[in-house]
Amino acid sequence: MLEVENVSKSFKGRNVVEGMNLYLEKGESIGLLGPNGAGKSTTISIISSLIKPSSGDVKLNGSSVIKKPAAIRKVIGIVPQDIALYEELSAYENLLFFGQMYGMSKAGLAAKIQEVCRLVGLEDRQKDIVKTYSGGMKRRVNIAAALLHDPEILIMDEPTVGIDPQSRSYILEMIRNLNIERGMTVLYTSHYMEEVERLCDRVYIMDHGKVISSGTKEELKNILSAEETIYIDFDRVYPAMYDELQHHQDILRASETENGLKLIVPKGSRLLSRVFQITERHKAQVTNVNVSVPSLEDVFLHLTGRKLRD
Amino acid sequence: MRPFLIKDFKIMLRDRSELVALLLMPFIIMGILGTALSGVMEGDTSSIDIQLAVVEEDAQQEGIAAFQEQVRNSGVPPEAEEELAAAAEHMNPARLLNNMLEDPELSEMIHVQTMEQSDAQAAVRAGDVDAVLTFPEHFTEDTLNAMLMNNGNGSELELLVSDEGSINTTIMEDLLAGFTDNLNAESAIAAAGAGGEEAASIEIGGTETLSQNEPVSAMQYYSIGMAVMFVLYVAGTIASKAFVEKQQQVYNRIILSGTKTWKYLAGKIISTAVIAFVQLTILFILSALVFRTFELTSFSFWIGMLGISAVLAVCVGCIGGLLTSLSIRTESDTASGVFTGVIVTLFAFAGGSFFPLDGMPAFISAFGSWTPNGAAMNAYIRWVQGFGWSELAWPIMQISLVSIAAAIISFLVFPRRRSVSS
Ligand SMILES: Nc1ncnc2c1ncn2[C@@H]1O[C@H](COP(=O)(O)OP(=O)(O)OP(=O)(O)O)[C@@H](O)[C@H]1O
Ligand SMILES: [Mg+2]
Repeated sequence: MLEVENVSKSFKGRNVVEGMNLYLEKGESIGLLGPNGAGKSTTISIISSLIKPSSGDVKLNGSSVIKKPAAIRKVIGIVPQDIALYEELSAYENLLFFGQMYGMSKAGLAAKIQEVCRLVGLEDRQKDIVKTYSGGMKRRVNIAAALLHDPEILIMDEPTVGIDPQSRSYILEMIRNLNIERGMTVLYTSHYMEEVERLCDRVYIMDHGKVISSGTKEELKNILSAEETIYIDFDRVYPAMYDELQHHQDILRASETENGLKLIVPKGSRLLSRVFQITERHKAQVTNVNVSVPSLEDVFLHLTGRKLRD
Repeated sequence: MRPFLIKDFKIMLRDRSELVALLLMPFIIMGILGTALSGVMEGDTSSIDIQLAVVEEDAQQEGIAAFQEQVRNSGVPPEAEEELAAAAEHMNPARLLNNMLEDPELSEMIHVQTMEQSDAQAAVRAGDVDAVLTFPEHFTEDTLNAMLMNNGNGSELELLVSDEGSINTTIMEDLLAGFTDNLNAESAIAAAGAGGEEAASIEIGGTETLSQNEPVSAMQYYSIGMAVMFVLYVAGTIASKAFVEKQQQVYNRIILSGTKTWKYLAGKIISTAVIAFVQLTILFILSALVFRTFELTSFSFWIGMLGISAVLAVCVGCIGGLLTSLSIRTESDTASGVFTGVIVTLFAFAGGSFFPLDGMPAFISAFGSWTPNGAAMNAYIRWVQGFGWSELAWPIMQISLVSIAAAIISFLVFPRRRSVSS
């Protein structure tokens, strides 16, 4: 339903977004991943019609957003990276004001405010002044304000930055529910790999203003080597068995670790059962097994040679 | 528009430092200045010393005799003839005016010397006298004829002043204007009594009338001065809050809701104006209650005060709009910073908030009269002195013109559609 077509944006001659392509289908949950300064927020501002791109176009259901911003403004809910609230007003007053900006009637609005407050878990303290809130609570109101007008597309710019794990977990769960239960389309921006892995169906990885890779999570991870790592721990050392495993023809490499062995195997070789047959034969007692698949973090490292965050 | 107003109001009310700056500060300063400077401004008539040269080119007694002669020859009935002769003695304008100038209270302020025309001209040029009052030839005869017989065009007193617009000159002009008005009214009655028709008038030639009905007390002066100064800060405050809205992306949120940018700007203008109006009203009422500056019970007086306040408040609203536009356009709060830091002080001085501008060069008072605070101050002071609405028309016109200009520029400057330029 939403397409970003070859969009570029430069500020004072410096390219901040370059040849960006991105699409969003109804009901999808998309992640936009990239380190600081990658151009994520700029991309979101362009999509939401707040910034005009230097070139390229954004289309909502086939018609240009740049020419007619009103259409997209109606259907999107934006959660900005910074807390965009009146600090001197209560959460309720903030929501009331923004709801009125959307032309919602006062009666319908009152009920809606209660609904979004319940959604973000803020019913109790909605009458308190925002200034007195914790970071996590502010983030929740920041999200609530984007949900008031029942947007079809929810665009979130790092909505969990700088908050405690509990609030973060709550927010992630809430977004997941909005996406799955209400069919809300989600564009989620982050530089936390785990969040994107947990929430999103498809991922765009951005660096230096460009999409360097995109696809489903699996597709992206397949970019990485065709290997898997198996960690096996034993109650004690079994030299004969170690020797056998190290010389197994299907195992690429085996090395001793503190409590056992680390085996590098070809991806999808279903070696685990054969490994267990060997341990059985040596009557070795396995205390722990861990098959490690690459994370998006590893993918990013692979693509850029850098970590996402320092 | 209402949500904007309610929101801005709540934010303002919850900001204690803002309330202190907008209400408490001006209140304290008016108290201090009003008390400290009360001696300088109030009823201290000894400081007024007007040197007046009187030139007599008219011969009063001959004039009266000539008038009586004409009456006798005009064929009016004998009773009327007698009455007119008596009225001529009684209403002899030159004598009445001299009597007025010799009045003990006035003679303390106005020192009269009789001179020849040429000496008087030299003296006023040299600055030795403030004004020259000339009774032209046949003044008595002509005025009596006009006043009592409705015959001829009367005569004109001539006032030559050394320093147009100064307090001394103004007082002289007011005195003469009051005198001639009075005399014209009386002569109309006398003429009616003598069976004549509506009388022609005597006029003062060559001068204009200006201000100074009742003296303004220092407390009144500074209550007005501080109110018109501090009301300007509302514009700066609203604009700086608008900048914060922009910076914290609340503005983007408003734009994303589909709200038109002109509505946002209009909302700012209106809420600035409403807040400014409330501030002015509170300050004047506080001053009246605590310092007994103004009569609290006079309904018509307060209607006038509120009327002027409304015009000024709208102007402050438009300035607030202009500063908001500049802040959003430039994405910086320099505009509101410069306004509250420099321009308000400049306007306050030029507009006379700290001291009357009488001794100042003409261009400063001209500039001051075009500042919204200066123009409003002129209007308030005239109103406090008891002048009528017509005397307020010009300053109110000045404020309105500034408002319109500020409003137009603010809408031109405000960025359309998109919040981020380039
Ligand atoms: N208005 C602007 N003027 C000039 N440069 C800008 C402007 N907005 C963004 N930039 C620059 O564009 C680049 C991308 O910024 P952007 O905010 O889109 O990155 P981001 O991916 O959201 O980063 P973060 O994770 O830190 O939020 C940055 O180098 C930034 O300095
Ligand atoms: Mg960002």
